[in-house]
Amino acid sequence: MPSLTAPPSLLPLYLKAAATGPLHRGGDSLPDSVYTLSDQRIDPAHLAAFQQVCGYRTSDVLPPTYLHILAFPLSVALMTEREFPFPMVGMVHVANSITLARAVRSAEQVSFTVRAADLRPHPAGRQFDLLAEATVDGEVVWTSRSTYLRRGKSTEKKDDAKRAELEPQQGAVSVLRVPGDIGRRYGGVSGDRNPIHLHNLTAKAFGFPSAIAHGMWLKARTLAALEGRLPDAYTAEVAFKLPVLLPATLSVSAAQQDDGWSLDVRGAKSGKPHLAGSVTVPAAPTSTPKDKAAATKKAPAKRAPRKKTA
Amino acid sequence: MNTRRAAIVGGNRIPFARSNGPYAHASNQDMLTATLDGLVARFGLQNERLGEVAAGAVLKHSRDFNLTRESVLGSRLSAETPAYDVQQACGTGLETTILVANKIELGQIESGVAAGVDTTSDAPIAVNEDLRAVLLEANRAKSVGARLKALAKIRPQQLVPSIPVNSEPRTGMSMGEHQAITTIEWGITREAQDELAAASHQHLAAAYDRGFLDDLITPYLGLSRDQNLRADSSVEKLGKLSPAFGKAFGDEATMTAGNSTPLTDGAAAVLLASDEWAAQHKLPVLAYFVDAETAAVDYVHGDRKEDGLLMAPVYAMPRLLQRNKLSFDDFDFIEIHEAFAGTVLATLNAWEDDDFCRRRLGLDGALGSVDRAKLNVNGSSLAAGHPFAATGGRIVASLAKMLHDNGGGRGLISICAAGGQGVVAILEA
Repeated sequence: MPSLTAPPSLLPLYLKAAATGPLHRGGDSLPDSVYTLSDQRIDPAHLAAFQQVCGYRTSDVLPPTYLHILAFPLSVALMTEREFPFPMVGMVHVANSITLARAVRSAEQVSFTVRAADLRPHPAGRQFDLLAEATVDGEVVWTSRSTYLRRGKSTEKKDDAKRAELEPQQGAVSVLRVPGDIGRRYGGVSGDRNPIHLHNLTAKAFGFPSAIAHGMWLKARTLAALEGRLPDAYTAEVAFKLPVLLPATLSVSAAQQDDGWSLDVRGAKSGKPHLAGSVTVPAAPTSTPKDKAAATKKAPAKRAPRKKTA
Repeated sequence: MNTRRAAIVGGNRIPFARSNGPYAHASNQDMLTATLDGLVARFGLQNERLGEVAAGAVLKHSRDFNLTRESVLGSRLSAETPAYDVQQACGTGLETTILVANKIELGQIESGVAAGVDTTSDAPIAVNEDLRAVLLEANRAKSVGARLKALAKIRPQQLVPSIPVNSEPRTGMSMGEHQAITTIEWGITREAQDELAAASHQHLAAAYDRGFLDDLITPYLGLSRDQNLRADSSVEKLGKLSPAFGKAFGDEATMTAGNSTPLTDGAAAVLLASDEWAAQHKLPVLAYFVDAETAAVDYVHGDRKEDGLLMAPVYAMPRLLQRNKLSFDDFDFIEIHEAFAGTVLATLNAWEDDDFCRRRLGLDGALGSVDRAKLNVNGSSLAAGHPFAATGGRIVASLAKMLHDNGGGRGLISICAAGGQGVVAILEA
């Protein structure tokens, strides 16, 4: 299994993805590779840049989707494997669920594993999950499940019923103005430089009327708007609906529920859905304040020297 | 602890001007200095060392970090008068009054000025955020090479400056857009809003006509009356205006430029003192500051109807009244800042709503009704205009005078502020 101590470079992987696209000829199974990346130090300047682009406060606490971008190169490496059934170009990120077990801080060294699982039908083709896990000293602190769709023939019957009329957005609603260059900005900090996000011309080449926002940026921005309202441990699960064509003005609803928050992002004028999901807060605290203090103290002392090669 | 009463000696303001009107070239410091000098002239405070001057502005240039102290230094007050800046959005003017009154009550100072100023004409414009990042990086660079490398990141589009926007940072909506939701949620009609707006203009015009404002205002830059005032305002005329806020709600949109306050420039100041200080200086006492309360609502994630951006005074009021064992009937004058006619009417509705008052205010029933004959009897912000931080000083000075002219009584003030905050206070004479 590929075991890395430094993240793979994305550019060669993208070139590989583009060049080898036609070689991925389907198949009914996913590779069982497990990619691991050990003991990653957090670059404070990179963290601050990410926080700024996503609307987070500059802080030592890692936003939950920050860990996603650290694991992202492993996902790309996996999806560009020769045995992977689909070409990476053209895959659609349809959902993401992140569970944060506790606050992860920039002084900690985080290790990642990524694998693919659960190839299954989708009404518009086939879908599978990329499962990522982050650990600190062997303790699972974060897990993520990203669901991707490969459009094509489906064995699952399409729901013929017309799309149900959307209920009005719940609770207090905020307006979010998304600048036209957000795809380039987020691409810069995340490394996800998919051409559909970068420029209108490159997006048009892939059939979009203009550049579209990264789904994971929208998720990060929506969670950032809950600043001060979220505990250290929670699950944030979202489905990405219609792409956000840039620039955009969005209407963001985050409404409090018994067990957390419901999230609902739509076009401010069009009313079209872009993101729907929830934040679920565990009923009982997963750690006592005493444990937390101990964990924070322990982390810097355990810093191990960084290995140089894979 | 022994406390004493804080007396309101009087006030002074400049007429309020519409944005980009007669005060287009006046800075906050220009207007605040002129207002302080008017107060000095009215009460003979030349070269007087006061306990302090507390003032603030909502829209502020970074160079105005010491706006109030700089204004004091340029005024005819003694240069030995200390000063500090306060900012609580539209609550600033009333909050400074509370601060100065509290110090007088505690015996820490004998006299002080509470003031506020705002300009929407001479607004600060910042450099583009990206350009700012590049310039700061260049500034941090330790070598010429590193500096040039940083400066090479400058791009033409970064020359577009950042102009302050009138919207809440967390919701991206302007105050008017927020209030449009509140207005609809509380079922406030267009007619009721236009009636309130017309009454505001008619009352303020009548107050000018009978000379009520003569010793509250000092003319400035050719203006001797509030520029926004329309003495001939009527429900019919206001009814012809088309909606300005909440247009997304179609037919439900009721807020127009007529029943909303316009962007305004101006300043207002209030002189407070101990009884002893006022007597020594042979100055009158118009009224006393009694008590105040502030509240805040979660307009970002709270209930769309009950936690509206400008609803915080609804929550502050019962706490203030209970602590002072008073009800609306115990007051002779009630001043509710007219950010929008809809704000005043939604506030009144909330206090009359039995279910809401039980659930959200923890009361046994409705807080009560405000007698409209006591409400904003000399007009308020819809007619005068609303230079954010100046509104508190305008209301405190005129209410103190109303109580004095009335031969005594109690007055209540309610002011909503950005950030979902609200300040309420009691005066008596």
